Amino acid sequence: MKSPWVRALSDRLFVPVGGIAVFLLLAAAFFHFNGYPPLNIFGQIVQGAFGSALSINTTLTKTIPILFCALATALPARMGLVSVGAEGQLYFGALTGTAAVLAMTAAPIWQLLPAALALTIAGGALWGAIPGLLRAMLGVNETIVTILMNYIGIQLVEYAVYGPWKDAGNLGWPATIAFPRAAKFPPLTLGTLSSNWALVIAVLLALVLHVFMERSRLGTALGLLRSNPRVARMAGLSYARHAVVVMALAGGLAGLAGWVQTANVQGHLQPDISSGYGYVGFLVAWLAGQNFLRIIPLSLVMGGLLSSGDALQLFAQMPFANTVVMQALVFISVLGVGAWRAKRRAVS
Amino acid sequence: MSVHAIVGLLATALLTATPVLLAMLGETLTERAGIVNLGVEGQMLVGAAAGFAANHVSGNPWLGLAVGALAGMALSSVHAFLCLGLGVNQIASGLAIMFLGNGLSSFYGTPLVGQQIAGFHGLEHSWVAAIPLAGEFLAQLTPTVYLGLALVVACGLFLYRTQWGLVWRSAGESADALRMLGKHPAAVRLIAVLTGGVFTGLAGAALSVDYTRTWVEQMTAGRGLLAVGLVIVARWSPWLALPVALIYGLSDALSLRLQSAGFDLSPYLLGTLPYVVPLIVLLLSYRASQRGTSMPQELAGVFRGMA
Repeated sequence: MKSPWVRALSDRLFVPVGGIAVFLLLAAAFFHFNGYPPLNIFGQIVQGAFGSALSINTTLTKTIPILFCALATALPARMGLVSVGAEGQLYFGALTGTAAVLAMTAAPIWQLLPAALALTIAGGALWGAIPGLLRAMLGVNETIVTILMNYIGIQLVEYAVYGPWKDAGNLGWPATIAFPRAAKFPPLTLGTLSSNWALVIAVLLALVLHVFMERSRLGTALGLLRSNPRVARMAGLSYARHAVVVMALAGGLAGLAGWVQTANVQGHLQPDISSGYGYVGFLVAWLAGQNFLRIIPLSLVMGGLLSSGDALQLFAQMPFANTVVMQALVFISVLGVGAWRAKRRAVS
Repeated sequence: MSVHAIVGLLATALLTATPVLLAMLGETLTERAGIVNLGVEGQMLVGAAAGFAANHVSGNPWLGLAVGALAGMALSSVHAFLCLGLGVNQIASGLAIMFLGNGLSSFYGTPLVGQQIAGFHGLEHSWVAAIPLAGEFLAQLTPTVYLGLALVVACGLFLYRTQWGLVWRSAGESADALRMLGKHPAAVRLIAVLTGGVFTGLAGAALSVDYTRTWVEQMTAGRGLLAVGLVIVARWSPWLALPVALIYGLSDALSLRLQSAGFDLSPYLLGTLPYVVPLIVLLLSYRASQRGTSMPQELAGVFRGMA
């Protein structure tokens, strides 16, 4: 005979704990099969992610764009839209934001940074609003449109940095001029930890979105649009307007990931802005069950996994792609355990 | 444009379209049985890497195609296990397969980067080139193009003209009706997902073994996802898959042709054509495909109420 709260707790923990257990088994099998000692590698992953001040700072740097992209995935998911477009929105936002830097390179930070951020958000919002609009007007599946637009966004950035925006001073290397400090998020240091203000903004946005979803009319409206569009229509909620606005907001969020990556990490616009952060953000949002609070720690974990990928490449000579395999295994484990439990519940 | 140039463009379009066509046929078969698989991109990548490796080791391009097809099937079995075995959301599972295929192909493909293979022998000096009138055109095509065209016919006849094809399509239209006949929809769907895996793995191998003859990480560059979208344009018909894949092939061939002709537009802007043109075609045909009766009814839920 279990007391109710023990049962409630084990209910909540079943999927995360079970998912992690299955993931560790699969990952251990993968490493073992490829001739790496699993326990040793697990140790190196933790060490590479959080073992020193330097590795923690690298992890934080990678956490920021993942966090933005996860928010950009979870927001449309709240009304039932499956957007995989954060990657393209990230690229297109960085592209439009760069226009501000090129137009007013010498401007002081209080002019340049807001202008760049406004253009970044506008660009990302446009890239997100298009699939939202197509879904709303024509009913076109947004998953396929967002993914195709990712490739177009990436190509447009390549066009800019190989073409009109290429800086001749780079000796043929495709990139714009180096960004001035006034275009970057100001640094933020706390003891040995160092990051920038984008981290604070991302976490705050996650908290604000969480409160909004739980406490505001909008949160309820989105939930209704997802679970019962017919009732939502009777309540006077416009599916089309919500789809466009939500997708535009999401695009703006993903655009910010592009800006922190371009301005703070790389220091200029170049072809490879993101190492798949849009897709990692998608995984994080789904693992979090589209819950904005859970997205924060999960982004940190994924950021750690990515930063340990660099370390494994260096010390164990393991191809960097092992991090992509690990991400996929995490996703499969949690999805599988969740669905298995739902099925057993439906039976009993 | 001379006749010669048009024939050349059409041949290039067919060569470019073949991997997409094969992937479309695979996804058409899978979706006709009532399952959506967004993992096509990953299955193509795994097929491309495994097929290239097999050809590189053995020197036999046919073996490369076969191994690629098997690799695609192996990965699709994960989708089958997640969706059919555990009841995971099909969209989520498909994306997981996409990531897994991407990761595995990059991981194991690292030593293959920069390697070269000979691929198939050209047909320029064979009896095909000696055929009057059409010989010049036919000789520019490769074995995978002919394989793709043959599979269009095979899939079309199978789905619409055989008893098994009827059972297959019934699994996509109404699982209940099929159960009433004493058949098992889940078994049909399992076979459909695995067959789709074979076709998409073959599609990837056709790309690396026959078309590019190299292996590069993420070399499919969205072709798999494009194929999923184009299946909707082709209204889940193997026959229509050919002209629709040719739209992709033509836009890609045209962007290459315009670049080499010194057309004054950035190759990166032209490079968006193979995505923009199919996207526009998708938009134009979407409403009609949803309104018509062509969509397998069991898919309606997956495409509409997701998450």
